[in-house]
Amino acid sequence: MSIRKSFQEINEKIKNGNAVVLTAEEVSAMGRNQSPAEIAKKVDVVTTATFGPMCSSGMFINVGHSNPPIRMEKVTLNGVPVFSGIAAVDLYIGATENHPEDPAYGGAHIIEELIAGKDVELVAHAKGTDCYPLRDIRTTINRNNINEMIMFNPRNAYQNYPTAVNTSKRIKYTYMGSLLPMLGNANYSTSGELSPLLNDPEMRTIGMGTRIFLGGTTGYVSWYGTQFKTDSENNEFGVPVSNAATLAVIGDAGKMDTAFIKAAYYEKYGVSMFVGIGIPIPVLDEDMAARVMIRNDQITTRILDYGEPHHPELGRVTYEALLSGEIELDQKKIKTASLSSIHKAREIADRLKKEVSKGSFLLSEPVEMFPRGKGLNSLEIR
Amino acid sequence: MVLRFSADTVNEPITYILIKEYDVLINILNADITHGKEGSLLIEMIGRKSDVNKAVVYLESKQVEISPVVKTILFKESLCIHCGACSSVCFRGALTMDSSSRKLEFSPEKCVACELCIKACPLQLFDLNFGAN
Repeated sequence: MSIRKSFQEINEKIKNGNAVVLTAEEVSAMGRNQSPAEIAKKVDVVTTATFGPMCSSGMFINVGHSNPPIRMEKVTLNGVPVFSGIAAVDLYIGATENHPEDPAYGGAHIIEELIAGKDVELVAHAKGTDCYPLRDIRTTINRNNINEMIMFNPRNAYQNYPTAVNTSKRIKYTYMGSLLPMLGNANYSTSGELSPLLNDPEMRTIGMGTRIFLGGTTGYVSWYGTQFKTDSENNEFGVPVSNAATLAVIGDAGKMDTAFIKAAYYEKYGVSMFVGIGIPIPVLDEDMAARVMIRNDQITTRILDYGEPHHPELGRVTYEALLSGEIELDQKKIKTASLSSIHKAREIADRLKKEVSKGSFLLSEPVEMFPRGKGLNSLEIR
Repeated sequence: MVLRFSADTVNEPITYILIKEYDVLINILNADITHGKEGSLLIEMIGRKSDVNKAVVYLESKQVEISPVVKTILFKESLCIHCGACSSVCFRGALTMDSSSRKLEFSPEKCVACELCIKACPLQLFDLNFGAN
């Protein structure tokens, strides 16, 4: 009889301390000589993770009311503009917002500093109203003297992403890192067989309300991410060959750890933020077992040329080849590098495995599943 | 190399003479020279070996003290998150990703201080260091 397990049954096992929890890499290795049926029988939960630069990230904060009060309109934190068009003292720090005079410093640095407990200078200007008479304020804030710090990232954990190369004659500084001229290197950015959405490509267990590891604490999948796309081409192993699904995630940044949230600067591109995400996937049946067994040699991505403005595709490659440190394209051997940290992704997957094993992290069944057949619009210039 | 001048030689147009008479390429990286006082100049000198040797003889004749300097890369390794962005631009193979631990490894003896890693590191953990050889 084929195996079927519900979220509730798996959670009972977790609470009783007898759930079998493996990391995605461990189950991929196990899958080399065991069938999906055997894995479905033996394994209950598989932990997946990623630690990559994710631009579409940011943090809501409420800084509290001063006396007299101010309805903040133009606000900077350590000189970095933050969005204040929400309410009097609610702010959103966009991770990629730049300091006007220092391109290497921005919103992600402010977020990291607030999480680290450092003081940050707040400067705000307002027109002044009858109910909010104060017009200017300059003070310092830190994680202990403000109210909420809610990380809300509209687009994280890309299911897959193209590999970037450069065929032009000059170095290109991009969000995919420094791309050397004449196919001098190839940069990619996912954790491959460890990556959350590559282990549940149809999103049978990940949806709205899924409890996740986010930046060192517990967070949740709040919605599908922006640019969410499920109509991408899949390869023969059922995973998309290009950027496809994404997640919008939320969590209490006041409990986060800077070991899993890191500000980044890409030369001549701008500021971004490394975000650590881990998702436990329940092995509900044979189909889920077959999904989590996916290996780097079964996951493919496109190679795009960032030397041309429209990024034409030059070929396809497996993550096994990318992870080997060298790929071949046009009879040329090209050095490869990951922009996301596999080492840190492993650390997150291991940590989540320990937490689930000892019963301190239960799985949550999605409140609602993600839409299917969703494509993307592009912006027409008219 | 670092060139140190006494107060007497500080007024000599040394770089002009090096370029004009000895046909060497001079790249000034740091200069601390005040008229009438001692001074120092941090330079890279590139040229044919015979020209460079003649240039050195000239500098010594002017009592300019020469100390060779090596440009090295400083790496704040403890802060590294092991992404690997630096490793694909490092053509000398001084920065490599260990295939099993997936940790970045730095072999300073292979580094030629090309400086590509400085711009490639998203955490800005690399810096140039000029130290005496």
